[in-house]
Amino acid sequence: MSALKRKRGGKGPGGKAKKVKLVENGNKPQTTEMEQNKEITVPPPVSMGKWRNKERVLVFSSRGINFRTRHLMQDLRTMMPHTKADTKMDRKDKLFVINEVCEIKNCNKCLFFEAKKKQDLYMWVANVPHGPSAKFLVQNVHTLAELKMTGNCLKGSRPLLSFDPQFDTEPHYALLKELFIQTFSTPQYHPRSQPFVDHVFTFTITDNRIWFRNYQIIEEDASMVEIGPRFVLNLIKIFQGSFGGPTLFENPHFESPNTHRRVIRMATASRLREKQMVKELQKLKRTENKEAVTRDVTDDVFATPAEERPVHIELEAPAAKVVKKNKHKAFKRQRKQNR
Amino acid sequence: MRAVDSCKRKLRIGTFDYFGAGVSPEDIFGVLFTDDNSFSCEPLHVSTDFMVFGPQNHCLYPIILVNNTMDIIEDDEQLGETSEQDSELSDGELQDAFAKGLLKPGLNFTTQEPKKIVNNVEGLKQCLADFRKNTLPWIERLDMVNLPADDIVAKSEGRLDNKASEDINPDDDFQREMFFYRQAQEAVLEAMPRLLKLKIATKRPEDYFAEMAKSDQQMQKIRKKLITKQIMMEKSEKAKKLREQRKYGKKVQVEVIQKRQREKKAMMSSVKRYQKGMTDKLDFLEGDQKTAKGGAPAKGGAPAKGGAGKGSGGQTPDKKAMNKKGPNAKRKYKDQRFGFGGKKSGTKWNTKDSHNDVSGFRAKVAHGKGGKGGKGGKAGPGGRGPAKGGAKRLGKNARKKMKGRS
Repeated sequence: MSALKRKRGGKGPGGKAKKVKLVENGNKPQTTEMEQNKEITVPPPVSMGKWRNKERVLVFSSRGINFRTRHLMQDLRTMMPHTKADTKMDRKDKLFVINEVCEIKNCNKCLFFEAKKKQDLYMWVANVPHGPSAKFLVQNVHTLAELKMTGNCLKGSRPLLSFDPQFDTEPHYALLKELFIQTFSTPQYHPRSQPFVDHVFTFTITDNRIWFRNYQIIEEDASMVEIGPRFVLNLIKIFQGSFGGPTLFENPHFESPNTHRRVIRMATASRLREKQMVKELQKLKRTENKEAVTRDVTDDVFATPAEERPVHIELEAPAAKVVKKNKHKAFKRQRKQNR
Repeated sequence: MRAVDSCKRKLRIGTFDYFGAGVSPEDIFGVLFTDDNSFSCEPLHVSTDFMVFGPQNHCLYPIILVNNTMDIIEDDEQLGETSEQDSELSDGELQDAFAKGLLKPGLNFTTQEPKKIVNNVEGLKQCLADFRKNTLPWIERLDMVNLPADDIVAKSEGRLDNKASEDINPDDDFQREMFFYRQAQEAVLEAMPRLLKLKIATKRPEDYFAEMAKSDQQMQKIRKKLITKQIMMEKSEKAKKLREQRKYGKKVQVEVIQKRQREKKAMMSSVKRYQKGMTDKLDFLEGDQKTAKGGAPAKGGAPAKGGAGKGSGGQTPDKKAMNKKGPNAKRKYKDQRFGFGGKKSGTKWNTKDSHNDVSGFRAKVAHGKGGKGGKGGKAGPGGRGPAKGGAKRLGKNARKKMKGRS
């Protein structure tokens, strides 16, 4: 995707599809021969249906994002044709400025990526004029360009959204579900959309986080391949207003990345401190005054009491021993004779 | 223990041994007993003229005697909790609390209240009700809620545990991803009929060319990667197999060589024995040939030393069996002990004892084996080779002749 220079508040890149042949609602293309020769210039289609559900999502970020976030944003724009992009927002501006930006761009939803410390990525999903907004910590980002994701889908085709049943149990999850549906589903008859439904977005709740996956539908019998991108959302807070307002919900399981890092650091520090303390204790013990022990406790361990024997002095030489040199041979001969 | 201060305190309390348990002086807020037995709970900056005592050196809760005339110095405030705490802990209130018996003497630490987590259920529901677009038909949203599809693999193995999303272990990558996959599958399976009813296609026709989310270049890269992976796997498989084969081949080779060596050794030893005249049979040759050619009695290659025919050509089977025991025990023993080539010259003595030694005498052997019974049953003398072993030891002249001939 070419990086066009866009002014904040100005019009987005040209809306009409240049490279895409759009057919609405199952209408087969009339000029197939021309199509086979050139995929490049295609006249915009006559939409068979009227685009009523006017959802527009503004996808942009703050300064200080890294390449992965940038690619993720690009991928989201590829996947969702009802998105618009904007330039990076300055850090100094407050968050409610975003509402004005969205109004200028005529968008009613917003996906705002915020990078802090060049390490942590936060994502805001908001319904812009009045509606609720939610802040998430994004982890485990994998983009479309990763070679392990082998699926592919039409650019701008409408997705099927699949939610975990847990989304219906809690009220905050229900609100999030509604937000996701309105943000991520491509409206029908959107001029940049394709009429086919050939991929699925799944949102699953595991480990108190929301896992997002995107699969391509290959066969009608539901054999699938992952397309990407994929990420994990960790909910922080839900606000009643857009980028502000009273807090409706706060995630008790959320641990900020700073706290997490701090915990790890403290753990290593405490381990080191313990080691040091042990060392010091040992030093102390060594330099302590030690009492001199006068009596060795182990002195009489081997004292085996036995009766005294009279000293016997031998005056005569002892009797000579009989040396049997070839005792074996004699024995053998004896054996043979006796056979 | 967590003390919440509003100021830094500089308490010099004798030595710092009081704080051996890890409490630093700044942490002490201090319930102080003043001269007139009233107390105050205040931040202090104390001068040196005060006395401190505690019951023992390592007491954590020193009771501090302080002069009444103190200057209070407040240093930098910490964030957040200062003003409220201060107001809570004014003198009057503390005295009241102590009077009621809520406070006990000693060090009292103020801790924070546990943080309240906002969960405004009503607000959430209200917001949802406002926010929801009820006029949208399903076709616009295309959302499904479903549990994952049945795990075919687990089913076939007999494990039918239908796990919900809470149960899966998020660290087990494969299980987790399979769970997501199956959830997507279930969604597709449920959605297909609905989509068909609404006449929305999921398969694009063959001649429909349009831009894809990933460019062709990208797909080429992916394909190449997959192919290289496959090739590498195949190569490693081949290399493994080759290694295995080589190992096995080596083993077999070693075994064959050893067998050959054994056979050669046996052959050489039996030839030598024949040469030395210890046996007069060429069993070993025929034994070989019998196994090799299957019974053809070719004695051509064998050196036809005298006495070859004499042997056990016509022996009865009975005698053959006995002769099969081989030379007598003495012979065997000597052979075993000294081999054929390593005999020392002084081992055979013609002493009185050896002369008198008749242990090597076997009557049957001495009076000629096979002579009495075997001659009766001569049939096919050439065909039936001599029995293995059990050969008669030839006389001195015969042996000499044989020796000379070798």
